[in-house]
Amino acid sequence: MGDLILFKTVFKKEFVMMKNYLFNTLFSMISIYMIFVFMFFGIKFISPSTVKFGNTIEGLIIGYFIWLFSIFGYSDMSWGIMEEARAGTLEQLSMTPFGLHRVLIYRIISTFVLTFLYTVPMLFLMMITTGKFLHIDLITVLPLILFTVLPSFGLGFIMSGLGLIFKRLQASFQILQFIFIVFLLAPSDKIFAFKFLPFSLGVRLISQNMIHKIKIFEMNSLDLIILVSVALFYFFVGFYIFKICERIAKKKGVLGHY
Amino acid sequence: MKIIEVKSLTKIYNGKNKVIAINNISFDVEKGEIIGLLGPNGAGKTTTIKCIATLIIPDSGEILIKGKNTFKNPSFALKNISAVLEGNRNIYWRLSVRNNLEFFAGLQGLNPKKIKNKIDELIDYFNLREKEKAQARFLSRGMQQKLAVACAFVRDTEILLLDEPTLGLDVETTHELKELIKKKAKKEGKTLILSSHNMKLVEDICERVIIINRGKIVAIDSIRNLKEFFGYKAFSFEIEGKIKEETKKEFIDKFELVKFKEDEYVTEIEIELKSAEYLYDVIDMMKKSNFKLKRIEEKTPDFEEIYLKIVKNG
Repeated sequence: MGDLILFKTVFKKEFVMMKNYLFNTLFSMISIYMIFVFMFFGIKFISPSTVKFGNTIEGLIIGYFIWLFSIFGYSDMSWGIMEEARAGTLEQLSMTPFGLHRVLIYRIISTFVLTFLYTVPMLFLMMITTGKFLHIDLITVLPLILFTVLPSFGLGFIMSGLGLIFKRLQASFQILQFIFIVFLLAPSDKIFAFKFLPFSLGVRLISQNMIHKIKIFEMNSLDLIILVSVALFYFFVGFYIFKICERIAKKKGVLGHY
Repeated sequence: MKIIEVKSLTKIYNGKNKVIAINNISFDVEKGEIIGLLGPNGAGKTTTIKCIATLIIPDSGEILIKGKNTFKNPSFALKNISAVLEGNRNIYWRLSVRNNLEFFAGLQGLNPKKIKNKIDELIDYFNLREKEKAQARFLSRGMQQKLAVACAFVRDTEILLLDEPTLGLDVETTHELKELIKKKAKKEGKTLILSSHNMKLVEDICERVIIINRGKIVAIDSIRNLKEFFGYKAFSFEIEGKIKEETKKEFIDKFELVKFKEDEYVTEIEIELKSAEYLYDVIDMMKKSNFKLKRIEEKTPDFEEIYLKIVKNG
């Protein structure tokens, strides 16, 4: 019962904050859309033969959509927690009898749900702009998206954990967002080892569904096992590192420093 | 009944310079007691409070809440503790007054819907009704700090830790917040540890004080006992014009000067005396030095002066 109250509380807070930051959010969505438009028309008109992302415009849409999803999750964990430390509310969150980790996990679930509100309209906007309409099968695509973007929360945990101790890591936060693109583009269909990178295999599986209409139970089961294992690995390693960093920050007495 | 037991607590910060923040301190707090934690900047007050709140892990020693070790049972400890740390840096500036109260209630596992009456009561009690729907960033600093304290009360814990709750507030708002905290804490039987540099606030609210200096406890007693024990007789003399350096030196050698202030026209000397009888010696000396005495006044040191004396001696 207590956990349900905590989850509802965290979800409501995230929702109200999202509403209160509506202008910022809309502005960043417009910027993100403009970048997509420049990328799309740039590739189309300057060098039409070099369109990558699975050699299709559809691939570009999926790659961009997953990148957006992952940076929302990642930013919420890294920037979000540092912002809480700066505002002095992180110490208050740490004082819940449920433990800071429970609050953060409920926050991840809330962010995942609320990110849909941003990214799904963006997905449709991208499809309208390009004239390429993707197949949408929620039963297949939802779990694939979940396990594809889960590593971004794990990486967010690592960066925010390090931020608790070292502070001033904002530059590294931004750099990692762009390293995500490298992970997304890594050809996991050609090099087996790349399947163990975050996002790479997931994007390919989502593409199989959204472009080639392959359902989840028709997909290669080894790929699905790797996807889930890799996602859980990055998430739990990130979570564990965060716990270690939290303990170090408490030992150094810097949890609330900013 | 002891609700907080701090036993041989030590915390050392190993940065560029090694700092012993708290050095083997021990004290107990009784249930329902309101206790002040005093000390100069860097004395170790905030570190002590944050150790109790499980936000800082000490190097040695232990803290028991209702007999249970906080670091072995953090969940149990935190069911009983809420805190306001550093004035207004504890609330969400982008959430409204009501949303903040609901959030902090939920954080403690309390259903905001079920305690709606309590939230309304807190909004009224802390005079926040007018701004109930306003985001905290649009409130005055005084209101933000009242909200931060209200958010600690909404968690409905037995122990409240208030670290500088009136930091940066004007005299009027400090007085208002002091009265609100005092009445509510007494009425609800809260155990309260209050850290502040505002001696008037501490004197008005606290039954007992712990004075820390350089990480060590230098005094722990009721304010009345400290006043009795460390109290002294002091007399203030106003003399026409300046006095000679050698006379001043003679005064310093012979008596304990509390205050010495001079300008072109007047010199003000405040001297601490073990008893009123020593006043004859002072007068004799002044007569011998041809002082033109304008005024004598007996001074009873207030708590702030006693605190300064304890810290100086500690």
